[in-house]
Amino acid sequence: MRTGKENTFAIETTALTKMYGDKAAVKHLDLKIRVGEIYGFIGRNGAGKSTTLKMLCGIASPTEGEILLFGRPVSDPAARRRLGVLIEAAGLYPNMTARQNVVMKAKCMGLADEKSVDEVLQITGLSDVGKKKVKHFSMGMKQRLGVALALLGNPDLLILDEPINGLDPEGIRELRNLVMALHEEGKTILVSSHILGELSKIATNYGIIKDGELIEQITKEELEEKCQDYFLIEVQDVRRALPMIQEAFPDVQPEVLDTRSIRIYGAEDGAKINQILIENQVPVYASGFHHMDLEEYFLDRMEGGR
Amino acid sequence: MFNLLRMDLYRVKRSKSVYVCFGILLIATVMTFGLLWLMATPQGQETAVRIGMLAAEDLGETSGILDGVDSLVMFRQIGLDGGMYNLVFGIWVMMFVCMDFQSGFIKNVMALYQNRWNYIGSKLASAGIVNACYLILHLLFVLLMNHLFGNMVPDAKWGDIAFYLSWAWLLTTAFAALLILICVLTRSVAAGALAAVLFGGGAVVMPLYSILNIFHMGEWLKHTIYLTLAMGPGHYASIQDLYVYATGAGFLILYTVIAGIILKRQDI
Repeated sequence: MRTGKENTFAIETTALTKMYGDKAAVKHLDLKIRVGEIYGFIGRNGAGKSTTLKMLCGIASPTEGEILLFGRPVSDPAARRRLGVLIEAAGLYPNMTARQNVVMKAKCMGLADEKSVDEVLQITGLSDVGKKKVKHFSMGMKQRLGVALALLGNPDLLILDEPINGLDPEGIRELRNLVMALHEEGKTILVSSHILGELSKIATNYGIIKDGELIEQITKEELEEKCQDYFLIEVQDVRRALPMIQEAFPDVQPEVLDTRSIRIYGAEDGAKINQILIENQVPVYASGFHHMDLEEYFLDRMEGGR
Repeated sequence: MFNLLRMDLYRVKRSKSVYVCFGILLIATVMTFGLLWLMATPQGQETAVRIGMLAAEDLGETSGILDGVDSLVMFRQIGLDGGMYNLVFGIWVMMFVCMDFQSGFIKNVMALYQNRWNYIGSKLASAGIVNACYLILHLLFVLLMNHLFGNMVPDAKWGDIAFYLSWAWLLTTAFAALLILICVLTRSVAAGALAAVLFGGGAVVMPLYSILNIFHMGEWLKHTIYLTLAMGPGHYASIQDLYVYATGAGFLILYTVIAGIILKRQDI
């Protein structure tokens, strides 16, 4: 049973559309993200992820459709103050220090004291960089500073577009821990990333966008259910092997991947499958049980799979 | 908008460009005074002849070059009348605005402020403040140089100085609005720099004025920013002299409105 808080939408879009000339970058997107979720936004390059995120942040205007942040229109300054963003590369002044960049954003937000500046620098591990200018920062440090800017003002909703780009493994782990900690505090986080393995460690919900259309919204639990174990078998001749499997194991769901591979869902005894095929003189090159991860599921969906 | 202005002024104080551009104005002023001292004062002419800069027979021609010149005319001639001030100030405005787009920091700003007029207003106010500081400090430096070089020209009346500075500020701020418009439109440092050089230095207006004047059609160009600055009144004589305020305000409003509309229609 969901609580009242969970039923409140942090982000709700209705028929959100963005046209560039005749080409639709985003088509009738109905995105719903509940308060407290970590929402992984997945899509290929050019699928419309960044355009969608830019519209949510108010830095791109939708051609059609409506965006509500915490039930208020995105144009409402009160709603926007609850939003922290990192879109694409962090926007930073290269000739300023990390602290000066954060102070700039703080002034822009009208934050009177600089305590919050020190806090976000502390959280993102940039409090000791001193007077080093941003132009001398590594890519990872710049990304962390971008996250620091997004965290300023203690926003309820964070939109992070490819936040782990350029981070080293330690930086990725630190950011993951940070996102988890912020989630524990009750913040809603919308994060897009190409590194799906990493995303799957943190996301509670997923949205998959393809050619500007949201093709699926799915919870972590639903995904785990769909990413069930399967038995993958490589044979010499799929056309001979498939009817034999279907006949011997009527309860399984075979899926032909190519001329040599069959993915079998619901199989419990892999050895038995191998045995039947060999007895019927269908050479088996390789076989084994697999668990589909987010990456495989995503690629499967991109190719129009189940 | 005031939060944005606070942010912009914080950046102005910490950016090198504002000091470098002012430094260029000061260096040009020192060089001008040095040259005038060599050309127009007996002691300087003696030195100029000794170092071979002037021939003894040319001394008579240069002696009167400061006749009718006071400290205000000197200030105008060094910076504003020839377009050097607009060129230097324009380059600063261009760097100040374009850097927002080049660095991507504008995304942080626009995610907070959907009303794009706030951004234009803040940039214009920052440019206006820097412009006022530049004009006043430059004038004070010219007065200081004049005294250091032995009062080569008489001091102008403070009333005339106040009248001139007020309309010159309005026109140069309008020029800043033009550059803000170009930066918002192109988001390019190269385009902004080119505009500062072409429009600020009179490279567009002067040739056009000369060509149109052949056909007696160039009068209207006297109401451009460049020519108004070059030909505008040095003291208030009649109500007609107030046209400079109308010109400045007109361009300021026009460029600001266009910049605001463009920014409103564009995605960041």
